[in-house]
Amino acid sequence: MAKEYDHLFKLLIIGDSGVGKSSLLVRFADNTFSGSYITTIGVDFKIRTVIVDGEKVKLQIWDTAGQERFRTITSTYYRGTHGVIVVYDVSNGDSFANVKRWLHEIDQNCEVVNRILVGNKNDAPDRKVVLTEDAQRFADQMGIQLYETSAKDNINVEQMFMSITKQVLRNKKETKERQAHQNNDVVTLRKGHSKGAKRKCC
Amino acid sequence: MGSRIRNDVVRLFECFCEVAGPSKENTEPWILQKFPEHYRKDELLDTVPNFAYPCEFDRTMIQHYSFVLTNAESKWIFGFCRHDPKSETALVVLSYLPWHESFYKLLNCISNLTNSNNSKDLWSFLESVYNSKLPIKGLDLKINSDSGEELFVCQSPIQFQLPSIPENRNLTEYYSAVDCQNMIIIFASMLFERRIIFTSKKLYRLSACVQSANAVLYPMNWQHIFIPVLPQSLIDYLLAPMPYLIGLPHSLFQNLQRNELGEVVVLDADNNTIETPFDDLENLPTDVVSTLRQQLRKKGTLLGDGVSRAFLRALVKLIGGYRDALKFHQGERITFNKEAFIESRSSNMQPFLKKMLELQIFQQFIEERLEMLNAGLGFSDEFEMEVCNYHEKSSNKLKHQYKDWTFTVKREGTALFKTVKNAVIQKYDFENKHSKIANPTVRNAVKTVKERGKDFRLAYKDIRSKFNVPNKNPRTKIGNQPNSAPNSPSMQKRQSWSHTTASASYRKETANGLQKLTTSQNLKDASISPLPQINLNLMEDLQDVIFRTCDTNDTHHYTSSWDDSVKSNFIINDDINSSFGSMPNECPMETKDLIRLDSTSSIEDFDPLNSPTNSNGLIPGVGLSNPLYQYFVPLNKTQLETKNNNDLLNEYGLNFDLLSCSDQPGPSMSPSQPTVPPLPPKPPNFKSNWTKFE
Repeated sequence: MAKEYDHLFKLLIIGDSGVGKSSLLVRFADNTFSGSYITTIGVDFKIRTVIVDGEKVKLQIWDTAGQERFRTITSTYYRGTHGVIVVYDVSNGDSFANVKRWLHEIDQNCEVVNRILVGNKNDAPDRKVVLTEDAQRFADQMGIQLYETSAKDNINVEQMFMSITKQVLRNKKETKERQAHQNNDVVTLRKGHSKGAKRKCC
Repeated sequence: MGSRIRNDVVRLFECFCEVAGPSKENTEPWILQKFPEHYRKDELLDTVPNFAYPCEFDRTMIQHYSFVLTNAESKWIFGFCRHDPKSETALVVLSYLPWHESFYKLLNCISNLTNSNNSKDLWSFLESVYNSKLPIKGLDLKINSDSGEELFVCQSPIQFQLPSIPENRNLTEYYSAVDCQNMIIIFASMLFERRIIFTSKKLYRLSACVQSANAVLYPMNWQHIFIPVLPQSLIDYLLAPMPYLIGLPHSLFQNLQRNELGEVVVLDADNNTIETPFDDLENLPTDVVSTLRQQLRKKGTLLGDGVSRAFLRALVKLIGGYRDALKFHQGERITFNKEAFIESRSSNMQPFLKKMLELQIFQQFIEERLEMLNAGLGFSDEFEMEVCNYHEKSSNKLKHQYKDWTFTVKREGTALFKTVKNAVIQKYDFENKHSKIANPTVRNAVKTVKERGKDFRLAYKDIRSKFNVPNKNPRTKIGNQPNSAPNSPSMQKRQSWSHTTASASYRKETANGLQKLTTSQNLKDASISPLPQINLNLMEDLQDVIFRTCDTNDTHHYTSSWDDSVKSNFIINDDINSSFGSMPNECPMETKDLIRLDSTSSIEDFDPLNSPTNSNGLIPGVGLSNPLYQYFVPLNKTQLETKNNNDLLNEYGLNFDLLSCSDQPGPSMSPSQPTVPPLPPKPPNFKSNWTKFE
């Protein structure tokens, strides 16, 4: 049986409730997988397979309930993931403050994890309170990409997910190369770690 | 915050459903009927049948288990299930309260009524339970049939209580299914926030083990995915990359594609085996593990809260130092200093403590404590008590003496309660709850159980004299009470107060050490000056410990606030007498922003040996902190007031607790030993308290 995919990536989406994480997921995910469990078991995930540079990448994007109760999200939460999509609501300053704090924290504890910053609900200019310049400045400072999206109007959603996917894939390949390189120098006792960069987190 | 239990619960249960199992006609389980009819949380109700029939399982015996659903705020709702081989349906009660024993009892009642000839019985029963107010902690909710026959009694768990064996069914099951070594490995895995799967063929074992594994983490709470029983339809959720604790029925576990799972810890609760790819146990400080192992294997651990306490003590060693890491500057919020936390323990523990800081369960624990402190809320629980008991080398003589002293008290108390518990447990079922006063009741127990009786009487005498209770004519003192505002900060009073309390209280053997510590001068200093950072708790602990058990002629109350807006740290209350003779919930509330909630209850005096209780005859609060229900504050205001007073009783009731397990630390200030029981001076019910005790 042919392999269903070349790569499987598990991504996390984090952000306060109400910033539109679920809408982003629904917008992006395969329609074949319906039903949401976020309000019944506190966790949900969506799946989609995309093609990046001719390779089949299966994405699982995971969401958990009640993250806003965490002042800091600790590194154990990110431990098993390949990338994190950090979402705030451009019309809600508090949600931006929260992601800033979380990102600083990730920065301190898990340098290698792939991250992307997303300002959602970017569809009502009169209600926008988090200015693009401010968000951009912060993203630059953290060394991550910023996307302003609207799940409602389907603006930038596809691009954003593709961007994080490419980033994770690139990171994986670089890590593999590095390991292959290292393994050439020494006697290879076992196959290279396939887990790549994520294990360095935590 | 840290707790996943809702604190605004107003009713015992949210919904009852009868779920029809899968059959030839209907392959999916479905809800046959529900109560109340108007319950409309469809997303919840849609998932209930799946959790009631999670997979194929052995239905040859009556089985109780619970499942957990998690809402958008990450709070839990519990589904209590009863399967009966004689029935095609499962009975399910949904509630925000984790009161397993009570709900299993309720399900049995429901089952009986389902079989009764008159179908109206069930609905009227459900209606009365549904419409009943939640019982105050430690008290009973009783539902009688029309003919006056007692159908159902639900006891609200006492606030301070560790899960104990055999009363706590979950822990009892966990302890009997999983040996000490494996319990410790699971404990370690949870302290590293792994992805953890429990599996068993028996649903009740599955849910019990998962619940208990979380319970022994107290004072921390599992913050991640928590699904004690995972239905077949949700099996893909095992792929979650985040930490989880999931109970997986064995039939589903067998068909699992293990290679897709990644690194997981698996506990097979039927065979008592663990697979783990990690070295978490090895990475715990060895002395903590060896002591824990020793305590768990000790004979006599089986009964009572020995198992819970062993884990609690391990956690005290690991994280009890958080109190040394609290930084407090006048006028600022209290903060937590990571470096100080790591340095609070010996160097061999420090690598682990660094790891600890990366844990969500620890973060939330700290956040919760800070939140309460900064809100001026005092707290006291088993954890804080054990922290105080944990003996550390300290150059601080004061601290040293204080700890010695609490140890003494604790030892005596433990001995007493071991004796009493055994005596009383056997007697408990037979005694009616309306005995007039404690002494005859207790004496009765003593008579019946002769062997234990001797010890008990001695111990009881001992404790009586320790309290020095003037319960012969307590009410004559009422008239002498100053009648001023509850919160009036009065420096002069403070002086006299500290004098009287310090001198009047303790028995000789402890008094020597104590008086050195508690000259009025010391106390005055402590209460007036801004508190030094490190000794902050200590000073308060001291006062707390001392005065809660002190007998004093002046019943000045004394409350504290950590609220940074309050300049004076301690405020003396003149006790008010307006509340005497009235029910607790009629007491005026004290100024909220000056004192912590639970100190409002200090309005009422309480004599633990001659105490008021309501008609149920229970003094709540003697006991230990229950990790699951602390800080429970009902929304409803009348309830709130009742609750506060009840808390007060708890707090005062802790006089006994104190003897069994030490002081009440933290910023909470207990009033001195009460001398005046409210009217009418109803009897305490010792049995009820003590049976709950260990």
